[in-house]
Amino acid sequence: MTELLQAVILGLLIGGVYALMASGLTLVFGVMNIINVAQGAFLIFVAMVTWWLWKHTGIDPILASVITTPMMFGVGWVLYRTVIVRIRGASPSMSVLLTFGLALTIEGILNITAGNKFKSATPSYFEESYRVGSIALPKAQIYGFLAAIVVLAALYVVLTRTWMGRAIRASSQNPSGAALVGVGATSTAALAFALGASTSGVGGSILSVLYPFFPASHYDWISRLLGIIVLGGMGSLPGALVGALVLGLAETLTATYGSLRWATLVFYIVILAVLLFRPQGLFGTRLREDVTA
Amino acid sequence: MSSSAPESTGSGATRTTRPASRSRLARLPKSHLVALLALGVLVLYPVVQPGDAYYQAVLFTTFLLGVQAVSWNIISGYAGYVSLGHSAFLGVGSYTAAVIALHTGVNPLWVAPIGGVVAVVLAILIGLVVLRTSGHAFVIITIALLLSTQIVATNWRSLTNGSDGITLELPFWDRDIQNVPFYLVMLGLFALTVVFSALIRRTKLGTGLVAIREDEGKAAAIGVNTTRYKVTAYAASAFFIGIAGGVYAYFLTFLNPVGSFSILGSVTIVLSALAGGRGTLYGPVVGAFIVGIGSEMATVYGGSSSRVLIFGLVLVLIVLFLPDGLLPTFAKAYRRLRPASTEYTDQAGALGAGTMQVRDRALVTSVVADRVEAAAAAAGTPLLEVRGASKAFGGLVAVDGADLTVRQGTITALIGPNGSGKTTLFNLVTGAMGADSGEVWFDGTRIDRMKPWERGHLGLARTFQTTRLFKSMTVLENLVAPLPDARWSTMLRASVAGHEADRARELLAFVGMERFAGQPAGALSYGQQKLVELAQVLMLEPRLVLLDEPAGGVNPSLVGRMVEIVRDLNSQGVTFLVVEHNIPMVLELCDPVVVFSRGKAIAEGPPQTIREDPVVLDAYLGDEWRPPAAEQAAASTAGTSDKPQEVR
Repeated sequence: MTELLQAVILGLLIGGVYALMASGLTLVFGVMNIINVAQGAFLIFVAMVTWWLWKHTGIDPILASVITTPMMFGVGWVLYRTVIVRIRGASPSMSVLLTFGLALTIEGILNITAGNKFKSATPSYFEESYRVGSIALPKAQIYGFLAAIVVLAALYVVLTRTWMGRAIRASSQNPSGAALVGVGATSTAALAFALGASTSGVGGSILSVLYPFFPASHYDWISRLLGIIVLGGMGSLPGALVGALVLGLAETLTATYGSLRWATLVFYIVILAVLLFRPQGLFGTRLREDVTA
Repeated sequence: MSSSAPESTGSGATRTTRPASRSRLARLPKSHLVALLALGVLVLYPVVQPGDAYYQAVLFTTFLLGVQAVSWNIISGYAGYVSLGHSAFLGVGSYTAAVIALHTGVNPLWVAPIGGVVAVVLAILIGLVVLRTSGHAFVIITIALLLSTQIVATNWRSLTNGSDGITLELPFWDRDIQNVPFYLVMLGLFALTVVFSALIRRTKLGTGLVAIREDEGKAAAIGVNTTRYKVTAYAASAFFIGIAGGVYAYFLTFLNPVGSFSILGSVTIVLSALAGGRGTLYGPVVGAFIVGIGSEMATVYGGSSSRVLIFGLVLVLIVLFLPDGLLPTFAKAYRRLRPASTEYTDQAGALGAGTMQVRDRALVTSVVADRVEAAAAAAGTPLLEVRGASKAFGGLVAVDGADLTVRQGTITALIGPNGSGKTTLFNLVTGAMGADSGEVWFDGTRIDRMKPWERGHLGLARTFQTTRLFKSMTVLENLVAPLPDARWSTMLRASVAGHEADRARELLAFVGMERFAGQPAGALSYGQQKLVELAQVLMLEPRLVLLDEPAGGVNPSLVGRMVEIVRDLNSQGVTFLVVEHNIPMVLELCDPVVVFSRGKAIAEGPPQTIREDPVVLDAYLGDEWRPPAAEQAAASTAGTSDKPQEVR
């Protein structure tokens, strides 16, 4: 029983972090119909930067997200304005190929600058746990989870309560209508892409503590995150949340009752099982294919 | 999926214009001749220089890349569904052959074809789950597939030796010529893959795949079983890669999970196809040589550590600056230098000659004669029945418990103000959307749960309000894309040659568009596109055709032509349901006329009755003609009739 409870709690903690990481991906897809395959590379890039900051200044890795988040917002904005914007109106498959190319480019740069070795930020609380009864709550997981929840809540507030968020949502639902009331499609898309990238600022900083990483780890991460948004329904924020919790639970339960090595495979099998019955994912909607579109 | 399809305007149409007197070889398109020549040189090379082991190895890996890029092109180029994990099939093929060799002692080369079969089975299983819908789940699952296969190979130790990998016996032939057999086998596989891809492209399957890339919803509406097409293409794209995997494993004599299921392998596949020209036959071939040899040179001169960076940058640059790839870009430049004279605006073909003599014979084949008889016998019985169908978009009820009956042999009109739910009703009938409730019956069969293409196979066809031709395909290819029945043999029939093409030309002549057969459909005028779209759905041999505003945006002379064609077809047993705002045309052409308002039928009858029906006038003219007293009452409900079909 304790074993099960421990696994479930850990799964939910990890799931919260996954949810944050996937939120940016699903946001960008929902607004501009772009699958940003480079999101995983963003995460690893941020993890590298965080690791470097922690190593050289001693700043707490999770707190470093105060620096990395605005940094990634800037990186996302510049990338959109200089690169992504050029394929607007092209078929969606081109955006996949483009962001895939970006991911490889980032990996290549990290390979050359940071070397092809595993790294991990190990602050003092790295191996400590809080204990509640017989349940162990690793401090790093708790801090990471809390940071993720705060950022997810902030993201929710930004999307629902600010002009920027309303502009993004309006633009995602009806770009030409939004343009008519003064919401420019390009500038809104740039904001949305930057916002999506900025979630990898916190996500990457948390990652640097929780998981060892090296430049090519981004494949692992992007496939997990993409799995989450497929499972939840592409473009749906609640879907990303649920998908992330399912992944977290699948991992810890498989690790507890089987072997961690099969955890990712179990998650993919769950996805296929869900897609078998709901091809659009758990929270996905099938958009009307308009005859006059 | 609107990327350009230069290949689709290619061989079939041009070949027919060449003089038939020349020899078969000389009649082949130049590209095939160049390919045959290159194949000959490559076959001779190791025979002349058997000792060049290094160059043979480089070319071997290039051929391997070619097999993969040409295969990838079938699902990701023709059908437009990008796979980023395609090297999974290479790994699966390698492991199948190696595992069999490891556990039974058979030479991996002899069991390499089994790897192809396993790859196909895997592709079918994955495809059946993720290719049922259009959308982006596919590309994501392909990445997951690559990682999953790697996980299995790493962790199923009893079968695969895990991360230690499998070491195979050395080749049984003389070491002096060690690479020559590998070279020749892989070259043979490469050539076979190209031929296979070319054959697929020439069938209705190939045309349908391009149609899916251009407009998947439209493809489904003309009888294309999109799921079956896509899964078949995905399976076809796995087969030769799976075989090549076994050969490759034997060539390396060692394989492990990380090397066999490499994402970088997938990257080179994508790069090759993209660089050469995605969706064309020879693009991936050219790309494989560029990327294969270029990658080897980069490793020799630049070291392998920067390979990822170079691949990434090249991929970004190609997507941004050369999205069509080299071959199509060259072809375009060549055409610009030597423009062929074409007629785009002339409508003589659409209006003039050809119509009378065609009408005498065109559709009156034996099949049609049977149908005329059957239709005459059944005249007046209900062919299409909609019973209490409803469809809401959020709070807006577009179709509200609608009933509609279309009787055999009639030209029934469906009129009503904008936003009264006519097009949505069409979508419910043809299956483009599912109804929230209600039933749709077609000739005694309940069809509201059927897929769009199944309804097409029953004889239900539609045209669209805004024409939805496949714009980068030629007019002729547009006509051969529809699939009239569910048989596999029909799907694998040649498309741009033979019987199908003849029939397409017959129908084009019937609508007066024969001389535009070789033109890209996107180059036609709007009215011409309407005629072509009608001819296109006639390829389904439909019993009921739903026309969505056939006269909308069309010049008056073409409207006249359209009316003639509809009458003509009707006399041959085809029933019509027409949505139209051109009331004079409706009153002249149709009987009965059904009036729709706010999601349901409010009146039905012969045209002259409908014209004077006060309910109809009320629905159409609304407040305009009412006395002031009624205006207020109307104002309170007016909001609900605002165009529901604009809402998403």
